[in-house]
Amino acid sequence: MNRMLAGSLAWLVAMLVAMLVLAMPGRALAHAALVATDPADGAVLTQGPGQFSLTFSEPVSPLVLTLVRPDGSQLALTSFRLKDQTVEIDNPETLKSGTHVLSWRVVSVDGHPVGGSALFSIGAPSAAPVAGEAVDWTLRAMVWVARLFLYAGLFLGVGGAFALAWLAEDRRCGQRFVAAALLFGLASAPLSLGLQGLDGLGAPLAQFAAPTVWRTALETSFVWTVVIGLIALGLALVSLAGPSGLRKLSASAALLAVGAALAVSGHASAAEPQWLTRPLVFLHGTAIAFWAGSLAPLGLALRQQPAEAKVFLRRFSRAILPVVAVLAASGIVLAIIQVQQPAALIHTAYGRLLLLKLTLLLFLFTLAAINRWTLTAPAQAGDTEVQRRMVRSIGIEMLIVLAIFGVADGWRFTPPPRALAIAAAQPVSIHVHALKAMADLSITPGHAGEVAASIMIMTGDFGPLDAKAVTLVLSKPDSGIEPIKRPARKPGDGTWRIDNLAIPLPGRWNARLDILVSDFEMVKIEAPIDIRGE
Amino acid sequence: MKKYLLAAGVLCAFGTNAALAHITLETQEAAVGSTYKAVLRVPHGCEGKATTAVRVQIPEGVIAVKPMPKPGWTLQVKKGKYEKSYQLYGETLTTGVKEVDWSGGNLPDEFYDEFVFRASLAADLPAGQMLYFPVVQECGDAAERWIEIPAAGQDEDALETPAPGIKLLPKK
Repeated sequence: MNRMLAGSLAWLVAMLVAMLVLAMPGRALAHAALVATDPADGAVLTQGPGQFSLTFSEPVSPLVLTLVRPDGSQLALTSFRLKDQTVEIDNPETLKSGTHVLSWRVVSVDGHPVGGSALFSIGAPSAAPVAGEAVDWTLRAMVWVARLFLYAGLFLGVGGAFALAWLAEDRRCGQRFVAAALLFGLASAPLSLGLQGLDGLGAPLAQFAAPTVWRTALETSFVWTVVIGLIALGLALVSLAGPSGLRKLSASAALLAVGAALAVSGHASAAEPQWLTRPLVFLHGTAIAFWAGSLAPLGLALRQQPAEAKVFLRRFSRAILPVVAVLAASGIVLAIIQVQQPAALIHTAYGRLLLLKLTLLLFLFTLAAINRWTLTAPAQAGDTEVQRRMVRSIGIEMLIVLAIFGVADGWRFTPPPRALAIAAAQPVSIHVHALKAMADLSITPGHAGEVAASIMIMTGDFGPLDAKAVTLVLSKPDSGIEPIKRPARKPGDGTWRIDNLAIPLPGRWNARLDILVSDFEMVKIEAPIDIRGE
Repeated sequence: MKKYLLAAGVLCAFGTNAALAHITLETQEAAVGSTYKAVLRVPHGCEGKATTAVRVQIPEGVIAVKPMPKPGWTLQVKKGKYEKSYQLYGETLTTGVKEVDWSGGNLPDEFYDEFVFRASLAADLPAGQMLYFPVVQECGDAAERWIEIPAAGQDEDALETPAPGIKLLPKK
């Protein structure tokens, strides 16, 4: 009993240390979403700007930046600077009149590349050239398959090696299966990395071997998942085929490494608060590996060696309840962080994948519960008919588990509602400068609907301006809507605020600020402001 | 014929409508170097509320201001330094009235009233240009500010709350 206690204590300590290490690099990370572009999307300019800028919801690293000219020819933009969340790009040439497309592809800290484009016109709009942002479905499918194999290697292979080392009485059953899963994982890990590079650059499959593809891949956080994943797979192989003294130790280390591999990249790991999400992803991944990994060796043992399998089954059924509790609890918290609003479950691709995963989980839990509470006792007692039923049930569980891996793999391509919400909540800001006064106006969130406006006013030469009153007048002459006129109030922090402002339509509005400098002097300054769609 | 008269009447009504809604000066032109009697016409309150105070800012170059007291209203002036000195009947003026306030009164929205002051227009004011007298109309907590001065080239009719003004004529 004391030894058991000491054993579980050692486990606990190991887990805590691993969680601490993972929680350490606590930077503000999230899936990047575009917040603003300059020139604004749809803008019409009299002449080409000297530089372009893209502002994101978090710091990003550009992978490909292209300017598509009105005639469809492309110009690679290679000279850019990073300033916090903004990418400033030099415009190397004088732009001809017509509609241009600024096409971008960046990678954010969660390791997922995102891309998009902004249209702007010089002189007058022309037919928009084709930006070439089409989705390469073959590449996507390959990214998905390679990841699925990697998951299979990590969860079924490493988890299986752990189950063989710690739970199984006779380690021969399922050994081949586990070894095969590990080899699949080892093969698909580098493949996955290369495909990540291709996806990052939006390059075709033919360039798989190109050095830039691999350099790009090495710059994303996914490379850490691959490296730690390879370590996990290697440790699991050592546990499987190495000296028996190292078996349990290396299996444990491999299992922890699976959790760590998942925690270093991905949407969920990149979410805030980092001290919570990374350890949760770690626990979630480790628990999945334990559960999913045990299924195949257990099923095979029950089928081939029913007598010895009893011990395996007893140990597994004793351990599985707390593991599933950790799995479910961490999964629920992560889902809440990622989805935020229940409505997002239906309205976003991410939410729909989560619903699909939850449905599959419902089946899985039902099967597992039947196994645990109705079949385990007679199976342990040696009822061969029940043992056969259990083997079949475990086989179905395996299939559902694979399907769940496939669904979770799909999240690779969908930004979570959390990131979409961050993007939607970004304010739009303008700076209005006139001779007598200037102002910074920001509208939060920067889309149509219920918003609040915050205004900072200064004299024309950056001095303090103590106005008696400030009124915001928003007009959209092309919409037929009467100007919206709202007095601002002074909350006492040096700004002027307007709460409960409703902007009925997205698009380009004219914002005018009537600043009452003294009883008899009013300064009016105005500028256009682009309000996003909801 | 009757039709034409009617049309003309309608046109008149609409044409003057804008002017009627604002606070304006009765005499809209005056020669520089002359004495000017300013009659501020207050046609209504602030969005239905009764007018309780009328305050007018005296522009530079308008000197020797003497407001006319008004029964039921407290009359006050604010004095200050002129930007430069002016000669008037051999005297050198460097300070004078900068603001005239009639307050504490009650002029319901449905009634009309006038507020009067007399002043000298300095001889060196630029003839041919407009001279504006910004007015703040107070109605308890609310206020209408007739203080907008058109920028160069801007149409006065485009302003929502224009300041009353006069056209300066050459010295007689």
